[in-house]
Amino acid sequence: MRILTCLKQVRHPESLFSLEEGRALWPEPGLFKMSACDEFALEEGLSLKDALAGSEVWAVSLGPARAEAVLRRALGMGADQAALLLGEDEPPLRPARVAAALAEWARPKAFDLVLTGVMSEDAMQGTVGPMLAELLGLACATSVVEIAPAPEGGLRVLREMEGGRRQALKINLPALLTVQSSARAPRYPTLSALLKAKKATIASHAPELNAGAGDRERLLGLAWPGRTRAGLTLEGDTAAKADRLYAILRERALL
Amino acid sequence: MSGSRQALPAGPIVVVAEQGPEGVAPVSLELVSCARALAAGLGGEIRLAVLGEKARPLAEEAARRAGCPVTVVRAPGLREFQGEAWREILAPLLAAWGARAVLAAHTTSGLDWLPGLAARLGAACVTGVEALAWAGGALTLTRTTLFGKALEALRPEASPLALTVQPGAFPAAGPAEGPEPTVEQITAEAPALCSRLLEAPEGPARDQALARARVVVAAGRGVGRPENLDLVRRLAARFSGAALAGSRPVCDLGWLGYQSQVGQTGAAVAPRLYIACGISGARQHTMGMQGSGFIVAVNSDPRAAIFNLADVCVVEDLVAFIPAFLARCGEPEAMDPPAS
Repeated sequence: MRILTCLKQVRHPESLFSLEEGRALWPEPGLFKMSACDEFALEEGLSLKDALAGSEVWAVSLGPARAEAVLRRALGMGADQAALLLGEDEPPLRPARVAAALAEWARPKAFDLVLTGVMSEDAMQGTVGPMLAELLGLACATSVVEIAPAPEGGLRVLREMEGGRRQALKINLPALLTVQSSARAPRYPTLSALLKAKKATIASHAPELNAGAGDRERLLGLAWPGRTRAGLTLEGDTAAKADRLYAILRERALL
Repeated sequence: MSGSRQALPAGPIVVVAEQGPEGVAPVSLELVSCARALAAGLGGEIRLAVLGEKARPLAEEAARRAGCPVTVVRAPGLREFQGEAWREILAPLLAAWGARAVLAAHTTSGLDWLPGLAARLGAACVTGVEALAWAGGALTLTRTTLFGKALEALRPEASPLALTVQPGAFPAAGPAEGPEPTVEQITAEAPALCSRLLEAPEGPARDQALARARVVVAAGRGVGRPENLDLVRRLAARFSGAALAGSRPVCDLGWLGYQSQVGQTGAAVAPRLYIACGISGARQHTMGMQGSGFIVAVNSDPRAAIFNLADVCVVEDLVAFIPAFLARCGEPEAMDPPAS
């Protein structure tokens, strides 16, 4: 089975940023990682490769040159091939634009299975995967927590729904699945594979992105959210905050 | 919206009802509310589409409650929710109606079919919409981004619009005045599908103690190590009627069972007191606890999204804070962790 995993590089979730004129300003040097659910998608791809002899796993990322780091990690985890589609990610590209660039690159390669995270850790839109499936004409299921080859061909997948309900599907190949985090923790890269990945040449491509031109939605700007509750921030040292919280909870008869 | 476009769709704003195990889910009425706000600038009637075999008996009640006309869409073989079937049935229908907009709930169901449909229709697509505003004929949609820490304002520049709407963001629509809304039924052709539903296994059993708890103390990824979970457990033990819960990452790591998960794909709780320890406050989590009576958040990241809905914010590492709090409660500082 030829498997493609789409991996997004994101900022570290605790990176402190500021907002200036509706744009995010990040500290330098930035701390980056592979988006959490994409890592679970990669793990699912690698597990299928382990189970199905003759399979190969590709990793692709759309981002600036620094996004190469997530591809090297993917190679270290066991991916066979990696490709970087060069494009600036700040301000972020609209999902339809990302899906179109990925589709154009992936189409001639005719993958049997495409895996993405259910949503990126930062933007949380959940749209690139299903849009990519549509552009490539693939069957699609989202929020998948289990994938297994079906005896009759194709895959059996388990989707997770609201309140923890499950939906089981038999899905034909070629297909695209968006993967939700699960108990199957992404593997660590092996040292030998990491060393090899460090030296590997990663093919990079420069898709025509035309960022901004003809986008179906335009980003007007970012703002801090308002607080929906009192949001009393406790002051002082740790002990003083503990005293204050104790008093507040006693006062409200919650303790 | 751009005025230069030649043939803007002139049909309805279509709200696709969210279906849960008990029929049309309450969030569907919130979608109607959002559609009304959209219609203020976009025009067009609002039409609620209810799909599937169980749709008919649900539709009349939905029409009465939502106060808008309902179209029941049935198709051979179409039973319960299946994203691919929803997409394949809705795509030609929306095109035939000339829909100006299509709205779905921002849930695992809505997100399963709407983005692909948007790509097919060339629609402007925004997911997780929390607010919308019209100014000078221009529409602004607001959603949460950047790890839940910031809001982004977006302007659609294509038509139709395809939106998923965050549950809880809009009030539930009430019945409109005037005559009883109509319910029509149409039968669509059976779509050719690449997937089929199988018998689903049972999800994790629900923790009844969690649903009943007066106090919920929840651990997030900020707990860092499984050993630190004992601190959270000891904190919970200070409150009577307290239950221990976790965010999704903590359950994925196996530190707590999935029956203890609070959030979109776990339990929804509304205790008198909710203490979030090391929880970042992603929407997927807060959807399961935002109705709590009093919310205390402990997190070392001062910008953590959880602080935006907390009554009390404690910017501290929980590993330092919880022992200090326990000491204040009169617990000896160096106490052995309780045997489990």
